[in-house]
Amino acid sequence: MLTFAFRKVLTLVGTMIGIAALTFVITNVAPGDPARLVAGPNATEDMVTTIRTEYGLDKSLPEQFVVYMGDLVTGDLGKSIVTTRPVLEEVLRYAPATLELVFVAMALGIVVGVPMGMLSAVYKDGPIDHATRIFSISGVALPAFWFGIILQLTFAVDLGWLPVSGRLPLVTRPPQTVTGLLLVDSLLAGRLDTFWTSLRHIILPAIVLSFPCLASILRVNRAEMIEVLQSDYIVAARAHGIGSFRIVAIYALKNALLPTLAMIGLRFGWMLGSTVLVETVFDWPGIGLYAVSSALSSDFKPVIGVTLVIGFFFIVANTLVDLAYAWIDPRLRSA
Amino acid sequence: MFGKILKNVAVAGLLASSILAAPAGAFERTDKGNVIVFGGRQAIPVLDPHIRYDWSTRMIQQSVYDALLKYEGDPAEMKPWLAEKWETSADGKSWTFHLAKNAKFHNGDPVTAEAVRYSFERGLKLNKGVAWMLKDFLAPENIVAVDANTVRFDLKAPYAPFLSFLPWWFVVNPAEVKAHEVDGDYGQKWLTDHAAGSGPFKLGRWEPNVLYEIEANAGYWKGWPQGEKNRPAGVIYKIIREPAAQKAALQRGEADIVEGLTPDDYMQIKRVPGVVIQDHKGMTTFGIKFNTQKGPTADINLRKAIAYALDYDALIQIYNGAASLETSPLPDAMKGHVAVPGMPRKDLAKAKEYLAKSAYPNGGITLPYVHVAGLEEARRIGLVLLDNLKELGITVEVKPEQWPNMVAAGSKVETSPAMTSVFTTPVSTDPDAVAYQYHKASWGQYYAMMFYDNPKVSEMIDQARAATSWDDRAKLYADIQKQIVADQPEVFGTLQNRRWAHRDYLQGFKFSPVRFTGEVDLYPMWVKAE
Repeated sequence: MLTFAFRKVLTLVGTMIGIAALTFVITNVAPGDPARLVAGPNATEDMVTTIRTEYGLDKSLPEQFVVYMGDLVTGDLGKSIVTTRPVLEEVLRYAPATLELVFVAMALGIVVGVPMGMLSAVYKDGPIDHATRIFSISGVALPAFWFGIILQLTFAVDLGWLPVSGRLPLVTRPPQTVTGLLLVDSLLAGRLDTFWTSLRHIILPAIVLSFPCLASILRVNRAEMIEVLQSDYIVAARAHGIGSFRIVAIYALKNALLPTLAMIGLRFGWMLGSTVLVETVFDWPGIGLYAVSSALSSDFKPVIGVTLVIGFFFIVANTLVDLAYAWIDPRLRSA
Repeated sequence: MFGKILKNVAVAGLLASSILAAPAGAFERTDKGNVIVFGGRQAIPVLDPHIRYDWSTRMIQQSVYDALLKYEGDPAEMKPWLAEKWETSADGKSWTFHLAKNAKFHNGDPVTAEAVRYSFERGLKLNKGVAWMLKDFLAPENIVAVDANTVRFDLKAPYAPFLSFLPWWFVVNPAEVKAHEVDGDYGQKWLTDHAAGSGPFKLGRWEPNVLYEIEANAGYWKGWPQGEKNRPAGVIYKIIREPAAQKAALQRGEADIVEGLTPDDYMQIKRVPGVVIQDHKGMTTFGIKFNTQKGPTADINLRKAIAYALDYDALIQIYNGAASLETSPLPDAMKGHVAVPGMPRKDLAKAKEYLAKSAYPNGGITLPYVHVAGLEEARRIGLVLLDNLKELGITVEVKPEQWPNMVAAGSKVETSPAMTSVFTTPVSTDPDAVAYQYHKASWGQYYAMMFYDNPKVSEMIDQARAATSWDDRAKLYADIQKQIVADQPEVFGTLQNRRWAHRDYLQGFKFSPVRFTGEVDLYPMWVKAE
C-alpha cells in the first residue's frame, strides 16, 4: 500500500511538471506582446524594453522556462505583468471565493443528486424516472454560460429575487477575513445579515456550477441503486418483511453510495475548472475570473499559475480517489 | 400529481419572492451621504499615475490626484489647477509655473514646488506610462524648484505640445512615497493600490477585480463646485463586464451611470423613465488602416479604390446615427483641424477608375480585414466593407483578433494586415497628438500599423512641434492634413459619439472630448435627492 501511495505521489509531481511545461509553451507561442500592451499605446521602444527587462521577457524562451521552473520549485509563481503583483499573492486572494463557490455547488449536487437518483431507481421506468432523466441529460448538455445568463435574466432581472452578480452588495463591507469564505466569516463575525446576503449572491452561480455535477451524481447513483436493489441480499431483506423505505434508504444506499462518492471526488477538480465560465458570467471574483481577464490581456504568468493550481487540485482529488479504491480493493494495488 | 407539483412550485415561488425581493435600489445611501455608483467594464490593476493611464485608471487618478493644469469643457480648455499661472521664455524652451499656496495633500502636507519636481522626475525615471509624452524634451535634472511655490522646466528644445500633456502628469506626495519605497522602486509597489495625492477624493476600499471606492475629501483645497452640501460622500466604481449586465444594473438602479453600452442598448434604454443619455461628439477616430508597404495595399490606386467604394452612410447607421464622418485625419475638436476638401465618399465610378490604374484592374484578390474580437461595431463595419468591395471583385476576409495579438501583428511591417480596424483616442487637444501618428517615428505602434512613409510629412510634423508661434503651426498642420488625405494610408472613417447612460437624479455631468472613451470627471457630479 505504501509503495502504491509513493508511486502515486511521484506521478503527481511528474504530471505537475508536465502541466507547467505545457501551459508555459502554449501561452508563450500564442501571438501577442504583453510588454507592449502594458507599456501603453504610445510607449516608445525603450519604454517597452524597460518592461521587458523588468519581467525577464527579454530572455530567450528556453531561458525563461528554466527561470520559471526554478522559481516554481521555491513556490514562486512569478509576477503578473498587468497588475505588477506576485501571482501567488493574487491566487491566494481570489482562491477562497472560488472554493466557497465549489463547496456550495458540491453540497447542492449531493443533497439534490443523491435523493433524486434514489427516487429514479425506485420508480424505474416510471414518470419520475423519465423526468429525472431529462433533467440529468440537460444538466450534462447545457452550456454553463448560457444557463447562467438565462437564470440571471429570469431570477435577477425579471423577477428581481436574487442579485445579478458579485459576492456582496456594494456598500456592504466584507467581514474580517478568517477563512476567506464569506458564509463562514460572516457567521464567525456574528453578522447574520451579511451571511444572508452572501448566501443570496451565491445561489445562482452555485446552481449553474452544480448542475452538470448533480446530473452525473444522479445518473451514477441511479445505476448503482438499480443494481443493488436487484441483488440477493435486498431480495432476502424484502423476504424478511423489512419496510421498503428502510431497505432503500439504509441497506441499498450504503452500498450504492461508494461509486457515487468516488465520482464526487473526481468532479471536484472538474468543478474548479468550470468556475472559469461561471465566474465570468456572474462577475464572481475568484481564480476563474482572474484567469480569464489575464488571458484576455496576454498576461501569461497568472494563466499558468491558475492552471497549475486547478491542475493540482484535480490530480490530488484523483489520487485520493485512487487511493481510496486501492484501500477498498487490494487487487488494484498491483495495477 | 403534476398539478399538485405545479401548485407547490407556485407557492414556493411566491414565498421566495416575498423573502428575497430586494428593495428597488437607487444611489447608495450611507451614513456619510450619497455614494454614486459607476458601472464600468474594465478593471484598474495599477493606480500609480506614472505607470498606467487607460480610461478607468485615469478617471480615478484624476479624482485622487491633482496636476498643474486640468482639462475642462467642450471644446477642452486647460484650466489652472495646482499652477495658478505660468509663463514661457521667448525661445519657448523654459516654462515657469507658480503654484497655488493653499494646495494640500490628503495627509495635510502642502503641495510644494519640490513635490512637483519629484513627481516629474519620478515619471521620467520610471520610463513607463506617461513618460513618452515628455522624455524626449525634458531631462529629470532640468526640472528646478526655484522656491517653495515656483517650479521651472528647461526643455532641450522648444516643444509646442508640452503644455497640453501636463494635465496627465499627476503630482504625488514625495514624503509618503519615499516612506513606502522598497529597494529603490520609487514606491511603485505601494502606489499600485494606494494614493498619495491632493485631489478631491481619497482612496477608500480597493477590491481588485470587484470594485474601487473613493471618498470625498471634505476639506479639498479647491472646494467643491456643487457646494459642500451637495457633494457626494464618494463614488464606487464597480466592474460590470457585460454590456447587458450594465444595462440591467442601470435599469434596476444598482448603478447610477454606465458606459460602453451597444448602440442598440442606448436606443432601448433611452425610453426607460428616469434614464438620461449623454451623447457628445468625441475625439476617437475610426480608420481602416492599410499596410502601405507590403502586399496589394502598398498600391495607392488600390487604396483609393477601396476608399471610394466604401458606403460611408452605412458607417453612421451602424451607430444608429450617433457618429459623424471624419473630415480630416484630425478630429473636429482638435486645435488646428481643417476640413480637407475632396475627402473620399462613396463613388463607384471613381473607385473603378482607380482600380483600373492599380495592379489589380479586375480585382480578383482577397484582403483581410482585422478587427478586435468582440467589438460589434468594428465587425459590422467589416461586413459593410465586405459587401462594398464585392463590386470591385475584391474578397474581404473579416478576421476577429484579440487586442494583444492585433497590436503584435501591427508592430511589424511584415505582419501588419492589409486592412485593420483601429480606433484611436488622442491624449491631448494639441494637433501633434494625432499628426505624430503619421510620423515615421511612430512605426511599431498600433496606430501606425499602416507604416506610412512620407518624408515630407514627417519633416513638417517635426517643424510644427518645434514652432513657437501658433499661426506657423496652424499653417503646417493644414498642409499635413491635406497631404495625409492625398496619400490615403487609411480609410478615414467616423468619429463616434461618446455616450453614457445615467439616472436623472445624477447631476453635474460635464463632458470634455479630451477624456478617454468611458472617462468622466467625477469631481463636479452629485446626486439630487428629494
